[in-house]
Amino acid sequence: MDPRGPASRPFQRPEKTGRVRRRKTRRERNEALVGSRRPLVRRDPPLASRDPPVAPNAHKLVVITQGRLSREHRGLFNHEVKSLDVARLLSSGSLEPVTPALPIKSSPSPGRAQEPAPQSRSKEKQVPVGSGPGPPSPLELPGLGQLLKELQCQLILPQAFPRRNLVQETRDAIVGTLQACHGCVPDLTLVLRDCQPRLPGTKPGDPERRRMTPSWINNPEQAPGEGRQKRRQGTKELTFTMSNSSSTPAIHRVSLAPPKGPWTPPLPSLPSPSAAAWGPPTAFDLLKSIWLVATPSPPRPRVVGPPQPLPQPPSPLLSQTSALDWSPASPAPLPSLSWVVAQSSPEAWSFPPMRLY
Amino acid sequence: MDRPVRPSLASLSDFQFGAVTTETIEDALLHLAQQNEQAVRDAAGRLGSFRETRIVEFVFLLSEQWCLEKSVSYQAVEILERFMVKQAENICRQATIQLRDKTEPQNWRALKEQLFNKFILRLVSCVQLASKLSFHYKIIGNVTVLNFLQALGYLHTKEELLESELDVLKSLNFQINLPTPLAYVEMLLEVLGYNGCLVPATQLHATCLTLLDLVYLLHEPVYENLLRASIENSTPSQLQGEKFISVKEDFMLLAVAIIAASAFIQNHECWSQVVGHLHSITGIALESIAEFSYAILTHSVGANTPGQQKPVPPHLVARTLRAAAASNS
Repeated sequence: MDPRGPASRPFQRPEKTGRVRRRKTRRERNEALVGSRRPLVRRDPPLASRDPPVAPNAHKLVVITQGRLSREHRGLFNHEVKSLDVARLLSSGSLEPVTPALPIKSSPSPGRAQEPAPQSRSKEKQVPVGSGPGPPSPLELPGLGQLLKELQCQLILPQAFPRRNLVQETRDAIVGTLQACHGCVPDLTLVLRDCQPRLPGTKPGDPERRRMTPSWINNPEQAPGEGRQKRRQGTKELTFTMSNSSSTPAIHRVSLAPPKGPWTPPLPSLPSPSAAAWGPPTAFDLLKSIWLVATPSPPRPRVVGPPQPLPQPPSPLLSQTSALDWSPASPAPLPSLSWVVAQSSPEAWSFPPMRLY
Repeated sequence: MDRPVRPSLASLSDFQFGAVTTETIEDALLHLAQQNEQAVRDAAGRLGSFRETRIVEFVFLLSEQWCLEKSVSYQAVEILERFMVKQAENICRQATIQLRDKTEPQNWRALKEQLFNKFILRLVSCVQLASKLSFHYKIIGNVTVLNFLQALGYLHTKEELLESELDVLKSLNFQINLPTPLAYVEMLLEVLGYNGCLVPATQLHATCLTLLDLVYLLHEPVYENLLRASIENSTPSQLQGEKFISVKEDFMLLAVAIIAASAFIQNHECWSQVVGHLHSITGIALESIAEFSYAILTHSVGANTPGQQKPVPPHLVARTLRAAAASNS
């Protein structure tokens, strides 16, 4: 009944082809709209209307990081590249102030993110030149420390977490633990009193001490901590006495004792852990010893073992001026490691200097 | 946005000590010690810090809201501090140049103002970056960040968020995997566990986290007390303060003090043993551990607050230490 049925089919082809021709590929459509050779397109409204100022050389820069930096949920090679100026990644010296307040954008983000942009931009734009806090004296140069303090004080943080006081909450938690463990808040000066007399008084051969003392500390060939100490001791002793240099190279590579196995009985002749107090002082120790130059040298645990002519209590030896000139960057009371190694160790010394600990 | 009760850390229940081989622990400990030594050396040239209770609290609470690990919040604080110091350095540099060239002498003030305006954005970027350094499934997405900012009245686009991240990254030369004291604490706890410490490491760990929070929050007061105690003088000079920056960067010292304070809180009887172990492992002097622990503990029970500075009597510290030394000899 439909005479056109079979006959019309041949005519449908040209229609279809016409339809196909109308349905341009996205690339073609984009090229037609933008008039450029932008390689990738997306379904969103044409980009040409939104980012005409993007320079052709800008999109060349996108190739490396297409889409990665802004659209992680759309895959790596989605064209929606927000980091057109990704070249800044490769450029050096682009600290924030150097970065323009208004970043170059290939296209604005869709949806609701588009709305706040003008406000935030305008907020950044509002930055008045020379209207920073403080007296507007052009000759006034801020010191770094002063500037940081100023920044800290003047920053206004939003009330994002009302009714929260972490300091108080943390203190409550600690006091609660103290009360749970002790029934009350104990006398904290016990920390200062209890520390000194007990530990150094413990003998190396003391059974209790032996139980408590890790095998890796007592055994120089098993203890990294002690190994470091011995190495350091060796380092320092070489400067003055060279007494224990023979033990130094034996600890080139140490391994721990089996953790869960039976305790290796410590060798009574080996130095106890208290000997580690001879080790190099921390920056804190050094500063204290320098600043307390007029007072008696800080108490040290009783020396067990060979005398250590180290710069350990250096305060009486240093003048106030030279003491204040001390800097952790250039302390240099110790000989160079290479020199020490050359003098002491028959083996290659690959261990770096462990001056502080 | 606010949570009345601090949620317990999900990671705590999964935390396990003693699962790593001794060789690994040894290597990691030595690596940390080297890293720390380098950090202390590098800190000598630094002239300022950017750590304030309000800011640290904000980062911590934000991390809590986003269910991030403790390590992430510490790392975020570290990243933020270094970024701000870099920015301040840049402003100072700009100011110097502009003063020298006598061109637009006020521009550095605009930079400063710009830094002010973008601070919250930078802060959340630091937290976001820190989250990306942690577990991949806990990364904070852009939408989360934008929603948070929007709730606070800060309207930013994703592009600006991205720009902000890039600024932080580039300011720090993409080196944002900064060490935190938590790594030192956990490593030392691991070693203590192997060495037969009487107090269980897991027990100490929980208290250590709380104490570390407190030290982060009260960073300046705690170290101020330590400085005063170390010089037996309540008014440290500027030079002394500058020299003390290296002590502030000594995470090994902080870690042993945290663990010692934690041991004191948990089990006073075993405190000496724990301190002895710490002393043996790190070589840090006993009195340094005691002094620092004391400073932390006094702040922990509320003797000192940022508002009302009541310094630890340094003469008491020194006198006690001298008495202890005398009793030793």
